[in-house]
Amino acid sequence: MNKFKKMKRIYIPLLGLFLLQSCSSDLLNTSPESTKVTANFYKDEAQLEQGVNAVYASLQYNGQYQLAMPAIGEIPSDNTFDEVPANDSFTYGEFDFFTIQPNNSLLGSTWKDHYVGIQQANIVLNRIGGIAMDQTLKNTRTGEMKFLRALMYFNLVRIFGDVPLVTKETTDVNEYFGQGRTPVETVYDFIETELKASIDLLPATASQKGRVTQGAALGVLGKVLMTRNRYSEALPYLQKIEPLGYSLLTDVTKIFDPSNKNNAEIIFDVQFTSGLNGNTEGSQAYQMFSPSGFISGAKGHNLPTKEVYAVFSSGDLRRNAFVGLTLSGVPYSKKLVKTSDAIVDGGSNTVVLRLADVFLLMAECYAKTNNFTSSNLYLNKIKTRAGLTPVNLSGEQQLLDEIALERRKELVGEGHRWFDLVRTGKAISIMTAHFQNTPGYNTAVIKSYNLLMPVPQSQINTDPAIKQNPGY
Amino acid sequence: MKKTAISIAVLGFLCTSQLSYAHGIPPFLHSSCAAAELPITKVLEKLSKTTKTQVFYSVSDLEDILVDDRKVDYTSLQTTLDYLQKNYPVEFSIQNRVVTVRRTSAKPVTQNKTDKIRISKNDTIPDQEKKIEEVVLIGYGKQNKKDISGSIASIGEKDLKGVASGNFGDMIAGKATGIQITQSNANPGASPNIRIRGIGTLTAGANPLIVVDGFPLTEGTNLNSIDPNSIATIDILKDAASTAIYGSRGANGVVLIQTKEGKKGKLEYTLDSYYGIQTRSDNEKFVNAYDMATFMKEARDNNYLSKGANRSAADDNATRVSKGATLRELIPGYLTPYLNKEKGLTDTDWYSTVLKPAPMSNISLNVLGGNDKTKYSFTGSYLNQKGILIGTDYEKYSGNINLVTQMSDKLKFGVSMTPSFAQGSLFDMVNGGRTYNLLQMATTMYPFFAPRDANGNLLISQQIKANTPTDGALVENPVAIAEMTKRRYSLFKTFGNIFGEWNFLKDFKYKVSAGGDYTSYEYNFFDPSTVGSYRTAAPDVTTASRTEYITKNYLIENLLTYDKKVGDHSFNVIAGQSYQQEESNKVTTLAAGFPDNSITNIGGGTSFKVDADQYKWTLISYFSRFNYSYQGKYSFMASYRRDGSSRFGVNTKWGDFYAVSLGWTVSKENFFPKNNILDPLKFRFSVGSNGNNQIPNFGALSLMAQENYVFGGILAPGYRSSTAPNPNISWEKSESKNVGIDFGLFNKYLNVSADYYVLNRDGLLLDVPVPQQSGYSTSLQNIGKLRNNGLEIQVSLKPLHIGESFEYSNNLSFSMNKNKVLALAGGQTQIVAGANNFAITKVGESIAEMYGYNILGVYKSQTEIDNSPHISGTMVGDYIMEDLNKDGKIDTNDKKSFGSGIPKYVLGLTNSFRYENFELNFTLYSELGRKIYNGDMVSISESGEGFGVPSQYYFDNRYNPVTNPNGIYAMPNMNFSNNRKEARTSNIFFKNGDYVRLRSVKLAYNLPDQLVSKLKVKSIQLYFVGNNLLTFTSYRGQNLDANSDSILTQGYDSGYYPIAKVYSFGMNMKF
Repeated sequence: MNKFKKMKRIYIPLLGLFLLQSCSSDLLNTSPESTKVTANFYKDEAQLEQGVNAVYASLQYNGQYQLAMPAIGEIPSDNTFDEVPANDSFTYGEFDFFTIQPNNSLLGSTWKDHYVGIQQANIVLNRIGGIAMDQTLKNTRTGEMKFLRALMYFNLVRIFGDVPLVTKETTDVNEYFGQGRTPVETVYDFIETELKASIDLLPATASQKGRVTQGAALGVLGKVLMTRNRYSEALPYLQKIEPLGYSLLTDVTKIFDPSNKNNAEIIFDVQFTSGLNGNTEGSQAYQMFSPSGFISGAKGHNLPTKEVYAVFSSGDLRRNAFVGLTLSGVPYSKKLVKTSDAIVDGGSNTVVLRLADVFLLMAECYAKTNNFTSSNLYLNKIKTRAGLTPVNLSGEQQLLDEIALERRKELVGEGHRWFDLVRTGKAISIMTAHFQNTPGYNTAVIKSYNLLMPVPQSQINTDPAIKQNPGY
Repeated sequence: MKKTAISIAVLGFLCTSQLSYAHGIPPFLHSSCAAAELPITKVLEKLSKTTKTQVFYSVSDLEDILVDDRKVDYTSLQTTLDYLQKNYPVEFSIQNRVVTVRRTSAKPVTQNKTDKIRISKNDTIPDQEKKIEEVVLIGYGKQNKKDISGSIASIGEKDLKGVASGNFGDMIAGKATGIQITQSNANPGASPNIRIRGIGTLTAGANPLIVVDGFPLTEGTNLNSIDPNSIATIDILKDAASTAIYGSRGANGVVLIQTKEGKKGKLEYTLDSYYGIQTRSDNEKFVNAYDMATFMKEARDNNYLSKGANRSAADDNATRVSKGATLRELIPGYLTPYLNKEKGLTDTDWYSTVLKPAPMSNISLNVLGGNDKTKYSFTGSYLNQKGILIGTDYEKYSGNINLVTQMSDKLKFGVSMTPSFAQGSLFDMVNGGRTYNLLQMATTMYPFFAPRDANGNLLISQQIKANTPTDGALVENPVAIAEMTKRRYSLFKTFGNIFGEWNFLKDFKYKVSAGGDYTSYEYNFFDPSTVGSYRTAAPDVTTASRTEYITKNYLIENLLTYDKKVGDHSFNVIAGQSYQQEESNKVTTLAAGFPDNSITNIGGGTSFKVDADQYKWTLISYFSRFNYSYQGKYSFMASYRRDGSSRFGVNTKWGDFYAVSLGWTVSKENFFPKNNILDPLKFRFSVGSNGNNQIPNFGALSLMAQENYVFGGILAPGYRSSTAPNPNISWEKSESKNVGIDFGLFNKYLNVSADYYVLNRDGLLLDVPVPQQSGYSTSLQNIGKLRNNGLEIQVSLKPLHIGESFEYSNNLSFSMNKNKVLALAGGQTQIVAGANNFAITKVGESIAEMYGYNILGVYKSQTEIDNSPHISGTMVGDYIMEDLNKDGKIDTNDKKSFGSGIPKYVLGLTNSFRYENFELNFTLYSELGRKIYNGDMVSISESGEGFGVPSQYYFDNRYNPVTNPNGIYAMPNMNFSNNRKEARTSNIFFKNGDYVRLRSVKLAYNLPDQLVSKLKVKSIQLYFVGNNLLTFTSYRGQNLDANSDSILTQGYDSGYYPIAKVYSFGMNMKF
């Protein structure tokens, strides 16, 4: 009896011991309550829109249009320079003197930030098919994603040459080891196909300011084709842009006025706004690209050169509209404007494409295709607006030289000059002359391999299948 | 030899219950002996007979002590011992069935000493009592030390006494083998880093599991939440056999902490209080203003001259500008009087301005007491510490309650609680940069500027304004930052558990415990517009933020224990189950748009960004262990644990962990010759597996990050996929083998314990860098393999008595650890990380090898440059880099490893001396075979880049063709060529980090007994304690303990909070 009683006692702890076993498997499944999970997301239209917005947001990254595209697109050229090369560990100075190293951190973020944006676009494009939403809207969003992805690839190939081409949603990150770099022509073919597809999907005008439109796709496609030396093919696309409703502003000071954003001349720009969301939607370009001491925190990168300032004739309205001089005579770009006391929260948009750019591209195509009349016509639209006397040039080279000069002045500070120099094969001769004529640059040398930037060393470290560009 | 033996009377009895049998002794056995004074040894002998217990004793220690026999109550062991302790210079302790009696005062007892009653000395301790039965905490229980077959380091109360510090790390550093203690950021109140047997992981957490009174604390718990004054013992489980019972959390070792337990008897109060002064302990020395001026002129001249022909150092600024000079080629006007060596100019030593001697004080009260049924201990402490870095302080109230009560002979309840509240101010030394890291600011603040004007008012933005025209260093006055910004946090934490234990059957015990750990943290930051920031003069923009989190952790545990002794066989079996879960909620609010500075918190802002973070993890475990011991000769242990964790992928939720260990005391075998030279001799062998689950809570999922855009000024919320998914993610599996030997030499004069281990970690959780075209930069995977092997030797000297009043003992610990990376991700051969990519973790090498160029010297002419491979842009005065692969060019392929930040050897030496009433203890701690990479030296103090303030060492050793043609450091030059940039990772910056440090020294004086008894207290001790008073090292940086939190960048120092020297005086009183 006593023994039995004792035996009974053992059941109580045993019961306690196994009390929790029954519900154990459920207890182990926790999920984040304040973070979204990719696998469960992008299931409906509202969620898809958030994915689309994130692709746009990637344009704001330092490695895309906040800093990298304006800086890499112009510091290597004769248009802008680095006032204090040693600032930020010489990161920007290297582009000025062509001592660019594979571990340059700006190139590192350029590579990374573009691929983050590309992958996000891949995810949206992969998911959008299965989502129930209005077909027109679906087409528009598909077009936007295809355009943005193509634009990012276009930037990558212009900077690095061959780059790995990835066009699907990543499910296993390890499968990219050993992929290596895709030949530049293959990437260009992809860009072209995608841009052509997006033209058909995109609306002529967007529901919201800042969204991709048909005009943007036409313009970028034109530029891609010109980069591939297919001028006659580019022309028809470029010609379709103006009729979509774009026009040159008569007052050049209004093009980059923050109170006149997304105006009739702007075809596509990356949006920034001061004072929004705890000051997190602005750009630090204004701080980075202002002369040292001009505003507090200024880093003096990517300033217009005195040479480009001198290229403007005194009657050129653009000189004072686009370039200012500090009290000590250092030029700065007026295309970036102070919009806030929080200097890293600048509200100026980064313009990707505007009508003036398109007109000059058209002038170039006409010159290349021996339609000098039209070439002069489009060149003069830009010259006249700037307050200059129209020209009537008859030789192709004369026209091309004049167009290049107008592009240099019109687009100063917008990150195009270096790509124009490379595209037109002038980079080495012009930069060599620039170095010889500029005090303080006597030791700088440009070599043919400098036309491409080095692939980030970290990527080669990660996967040796990624090979470095020759020369670096 | 006999004289030097410890004389201890060990009273062995089987269990405490036998104490109660003693109560039943009939009164007629009560002594009626006429002789009043008896030697204490006789008394103990008599007592053993009357209480039917056996007394072993050795007399030399207790010699001369005469006891008034009439007052001894021989019926009760406890009463007798209490009486003896109260009236005679002896003390006893009962610990797990063992009573140890010692003499507390070495002085001869003068009263009534007679030769007649001396009994024969017997210093040969009988075989049975050779081993003092020390008890060691093991997971979910305790074990006699002699039965331990794994590898466990124990730090007892005695070892913990020689320290007066608010920091937990100081208590254990140098006292046990296999333990590395560092303080990467010595903010007052900062938790130390503890590494057990090296680092076994690469990107998962490397912290050991901390278990206080049976409750496993949240990962990353600040160890200073545990009141050091409440700690009784610390046991550190090192090998897998010992830690396997903690399964998926055991791989980094387990630290078991037992807080002080009450004891039966009169209330005992211990009051301890000290006051100390902390000062700098680093070796940094910077140039004065005159040398600084020379240095800046050289740097700017060299920059100017290197970028064009027709230039001369004599050119004035206007000429320079006309020749195309950029800002950093101009000579600031304020240098002129310094260059002209005018006397009496401002010459601020900024380093000494931000690092000031600072006070600290501590008071703590412990109360121990209890009766037959209930035992309790309360500890309460208050610590107030100012930091040596201005603007930092720390204040902590902490306590501990430990209460156990025997409700009936079958039922026991207990509570252990550790509440603490801390608050303080700090700087973000890791990410603060030149805006908030005062040390980095001090190295960039020129001595030409002063912190205050003649009236004592702070000088704001003076350097920024003066340097803007020439783009010199642009930092705000660090004193102004310290005084004008608010950076205050508070941390409330309480943890503990409550248990009930039921002896429901003979030999069976069932214990249920419920524990909790509650943490509430708040941090308020405010930076007014009236003080500038890096590169930005005041007024700038006011910023403020607030971070708050609450973390709750619960544990429920059921434990069944079977304890049985049959003849020479003893068994101990446990089976248990536990469920633990943790939830945390964190909110960070960033405020902007302050119209003015009148409200000094986020409340004054008009635009906000709120980040909310929430997580939860759960862990379900089943475990069991079997212990067997035969005659104390053979011991065997086997354990098994099964863990299920919410952190892991759906495919890999559960894991199994096992361990087996064996111990063999050879010296107890009959064949082992009885001798005094080698005895005892014991071998230990263990093998086991465990895991490391310290990864992000949702590492298995592809998480999303908020990524907003604006369309035409209107916010458009966006979400992108930010981490790569991995449904197969699981714990790191660790397997370890341990072979140990314990032996005593020369009549146990020397006791040695040595362990050799091999620890293989498989399925290493690795944040693997992946090709970025995937859209991700890293991916968390179980992919790596790593091996640690090492040797640990602990040698302790048996306390040495010279005469009667001098005692000496020491303890030497030596640990050697080697780690080797065996595999990384598929296709991945190396991980390069850290500032300037200084650290490489490569298959076949150790973790985080410092990796860079080998510098052969300084280029002294253009011809030298032209005739050797060099990086484009190399200039005269730059570094000559070795073309290691002889391919005629200098690039990444010419980098090599120069050693790692992880020490190869860790040594500790503890010495204790006692003479009359004086005691002296000191601990030396040393780390050898390690390198330090100092980000601040690399870019400022030894770079010669001309931007910040150089160290005196750089200045004296810089190359100058005229004044120092044999200089070893590159010429000052603001041009900052690629050569300089690349040379930032080179052998000249991988500094030797070997050091020997006098970690603690304590000199104490015990007030004489006569005086103490007059004061009606038990004892009073006055002491001096010094921490880190001496450091022998060649390292010149701020923090020798430099260790970034990231394993892949070990040995990185960058203006981290320096370790302080502490001189403190205190008093310890028992009453």
